[in-house]
Amino acid sequence: MSEVPVLLQGETEKRLRFIRFVRMARFRTSLWSALVCLGLSLPALQGCGNNPYPKSDARRAIHYRILAEDPKTLDPTVSYTNTEAYVVDVIYPSFFQYNYLKIDPVELEPNLGAEMPTREDYVFEAEEDGQKVRKTGEVWTFRIREDLRFQDDPCFEGGKGRKVTAHDFIYSFKRMGDPAMHSPVLGFVQDKIIGMQEYVEYNRKRLDDKQSGDYAFPIKGLQVDPQNPHVFRIFLNQKYPQLKYLMAMHFTTPIPREAVEKYGEDFKTHPVGCGPYMMKEYKRRRSLTLVKNPNYYPDFYPSEGMPGDAEAGLLADAGKQLPLLDEVHFTISRETVTAWNLFIQGYLDSAAVNRDNFQQVVANTGSGLSEEMVRKGLVLREAAGMSIFYYAFNMDDPVVGGNGEKQKKLRKAISKSIDNQTYIDLFLIGLGVPAESPLPPQLEGYDPDYVNPNNTFDLEEAKRLLAEAGYPNGINEKTGDRLTLYFDNGAGNATARQMVDFVVRSIERLGIDVQSRTSRPNVWQDKVRKGEFQFISYGWLADYPDPENFLFLFYGPNVRPAPNYANYQNKRYDRLFEQMRAMDESPERTAIIHEMRDILAEDSPWHYTFHQVSWGLYQPWLKNVKTHPVSKDVTKYYNIDTEKRAQLWSEWNRPNHWPWILTLAAFVGALIPAANVVKRRRNRRIRKGPGRKA
Amino acid sequence: MLRYVLRRLLYAVPIILGVALLTFLLFYSTSTPEQMAVRGLSAKNPTQDQIQAWIVQHGYDKSKSEQFKKHVGEMFLFRFGKSDITGESIGARIREGALPSALVAGLIFSGSVFAGIVLALVAAYYRGTYMDRLITLTCVLLMSIVSIVYIIVGQYTLSKVLKLFPVAGFADGLEAWKFVMLPFIVGVVSGLGRSVRLYRTFMLEEMNQDYVRTARAKGVGEKSILFKHVLKNAMIPIITSVVLSIPFIFLGNLLVESFFGIPGLGGMMVDAITNQDFAVVRAMVFLGTLLYIVGAILTDVCYALVDPRVRLE
Repeated sequence: MSEVPVLLQGETEKRLRFIRFVRMARFRTSLWSALVCLGLSLPALQGCGNNPYPKSDARRAIHYRILAEDPKTLDPTVSYTNTEAYVVDVIYPSFFQYNYLKIDPVELEPNLGAEMPTREDYVFEAEEDGQKVRKTGEVWTFRIREDLRFQDDPCFEGGKGRKVTAHDFIYSFKRMGDPAMHSPVLGFVQDKIIGMQEYVEYNRKRLDDKQSGDYAFPIKGLQVDPQNPHVFRIFLNQKYPQLKYLMAMHFTTPIPREAVEKYGEDFKTHPVGCGPYMMKEYKRRRSLTLVKNPNYYPDFYPSEGMPGDAEAGLLADAGKQLPLLDEVHFTISRETVTAWNLFIQGYLDSAAVNRDNFQQVVANTGSGLSEEMVRKGLVLREAAGMSIFYYAFNMDDPVVGGNGEKQKKLRKAISKSIDNQTYIDLFLIGLGVPAESPLPPQLEGYDPDYVNPNNTFDLEEAKRLLAEAGYPNGINEKTGDRLTLYFDNGAGNATARQMVDFVVRSIERLGIDVQSRTSRPNVWQDKVRKGEFQFISYGWLADYPDPENFLFLFYGPNVRPAPNYANYQNKRYDRLFEQMRAMDESPERTAIIHEMRDILAEDSPWHYTFHQVSWGLYQPWLKNVKTHPVSKDVTKYYNIDTEKRAQLWSEWNRPNHWPWILTLAAFVGALIPAANVVKRRRNRRIRKGPGRKA
Repeated sequence: MLRYVLRRLLYAVPIILGVALLTFLLFYSTSTPEQMAVRGLSAKNPTQDQIQAWIVQHGYDKSKSEQFKKHVGEMFLFRFGKSDITGESIGARIREGALPSALVAGLIFSGSVFAGIVLALVAAYYRGTYMDRLITLTCVLLMSIVSIVYIIVGQYTLSKVLKLFPVAGFADGLEAWKFVMLPFIVGVVSGLGRSVRLYRTFMLEEMNQDYVRTARAKGVGEKSILFKHVLKNAMIPIITSVVLSIPFIFLGNLLVESFFGIPGLGGMMVDAITNQDFAVVRAMVFLGTLLYIVGAILTDVCYALVDPRVRLE
């Protein structure tokens, strides 16, 4: 009898031992598998890091930049944004370029050109009011280098880039004149190159009939020398010194007809040029990569610059063949936060300073870089862009417009109530030059000592002028009503609305009631073009560094919808403009420009606010950085200390895995007491359960 | 079932037509062809002649009814035409962007459904304990933060401070994983609060059902009650809430794509609206409508598949 329970007990014990073993084994397996998983994932994670570029590129001479958006087009005949220009200008060089180091004043020099063009008078017969008259125009003769080749591309025979000839320049002008291309600069030359007008009209008719442009239609004023395919002439019906600037823009680059015919509509994303770089790869919304063009002509880094350039190390690469880098890689991202993070990690070579990162960049004392930036060895550079931001009065408006003394005084009073410096400090983090005339610094006719008597902030003077204009303290003398003005704007975001608010309050200090009318961008543009406003704010960025490109904004024939939005008309001014336009830089021309500036100051059709200044931050390994006010082909001069970059990259970006491992461990750890609570609760329930009681 | 699906697809035709008409009317009530031309041309001050040429070139000189007819005809053949602004093929652009969008959004979607269900199960299993309360509290906290904060904080901590993943970018093939991880983590965490709370409610509701008590009375273990009974039945409302959002995976997530540099379709619609690119707006609205209808049909089908009480007739 006694053996049986022992036997039974032994069996139970065996079973229990077995169960315990299985449980232990299960626990061990899961423990081991967890450890193996962790062990496997750690090296995988060790391998990763925050470097967005392939590891093999770490020591290559690649310049990393940001592109704020996808280029709409890389077609040099059409492309017109600053963003695109940094890509387009290094693929498509022009006859001229700006000297990279001599920036004050800027200096043009031949690029694809073999020498400076010659200019001669040209007498021709024209028809005016049905009568033939003799007129004097100008003929420009351009000789291009003979060692120019296009980049290799399947569009050429055998895939090898062919020689560039003068015909490729003429072809470029013909594309510009094709209305289907919508070239933004056609207006510069349409009425000046002899025969261009007829060519445009002919192709306009073809467009209306849904036919493609016919480039075989001859333009009389564009001729290739029959003896020399590297010489071409441009015949103009008037003196037009600004042609030299157009010949420095990518619109006049030589374009290979083969590429346009082969790629058709895709030519805009498949550029074929003869510049220092060519496109290697373009991935929409991701990246764009340029690579050194082996067919680029012998173009060398300048060997002289401005005083101080040698000391700044800007002549270290003097005389070296350009471009100095193998590739330029653009990351496409519109988010400034993303771009800034990439820059701080070292994965972009430059960044713009803006309101978002200003606090981080600049020291609290307000002078120089913050400690963090200094520690990283970053370099801050200022660049004055050629621009003017302004408030334009509608000269056709019965209240603020007109040329009467009282209206002038009203405009002057309003103008003098706006404090430009405060505006710049508040909204542009101090990055701006208060404007006294439409001409920005570095342009002929700009005088840093000039003070515009009718534009500078002076509230008392403004009140006096307002009283003289017939509105003492903002009250109309005749009717006794308060003067109400309407400020039309397209303020789309919080900052823009604050800017509007600032101006409204500034003018209201005179006692005038100012109503802001904000419209959607579309409607606002429409109002501007149609002149349905009293005053508006606007800006202008230079196309080329000539005062003509700013002063034409007041030229009578350019009234709305052309960019003289104020509809300003002054016969004396127009005459001076026509005279100035046809002149080359000279003291006489500067004197005329000053006279025009004074006429504008007296008539006050605009309140000038500021000329934009921008700040750029550059990584310590990027060499040869000089901020050029006009040129956009700067990347061909850049150089990179690749060793330094590779070293700093690894120093700044060592991955740290501990925090997430600890977080995970904490979560798992937190589960254990919870599991115990549930277990206890279940046991308690079983103990108290009715089954037990029964 | 097939008849039901066919009938629903036929119903879709008038819906799509109606949406297309509405889009047309709305677009023309806010912008004129001239305004579109000014936007589309690169010149700072396009001349009247240039504007007219643009309008002719893009077919906006034709009568509205003619334009509408052409648009509807092309859409039903899936011919999306070219963008008004960039001139590129919209179809090609959609094909190009759909994959990165689907990859990122699909991963985020499956990740957040999986993590949501797991955490909801944990919360349900440990209901009433501090673990449940901790999860619920964290969920409420997670829900009350705007999604852009997750993105910025995620970029800051995981890429800038811990240096684990690239801040933004994309690559083809397997290389994509290092770029996808950050948006994946951020996307999953940002959506977690809402889904865990929702799924937990579904689970707890099931846990109070009679059949659970019966199972418990039979002596079924707590774990198998949870996995075999509760989870299966809680899946019915979960599936209905999930399937409807599947089609939108293909349209991408604007914020995530924009900040993490994912070249998907997320920003396409917004860009098109800001640029007045009517051709793209039309195509995207058509696609959105179509996907929504497909999503609705899929939801019904799934409902019938998982719940034997529902029949599609």
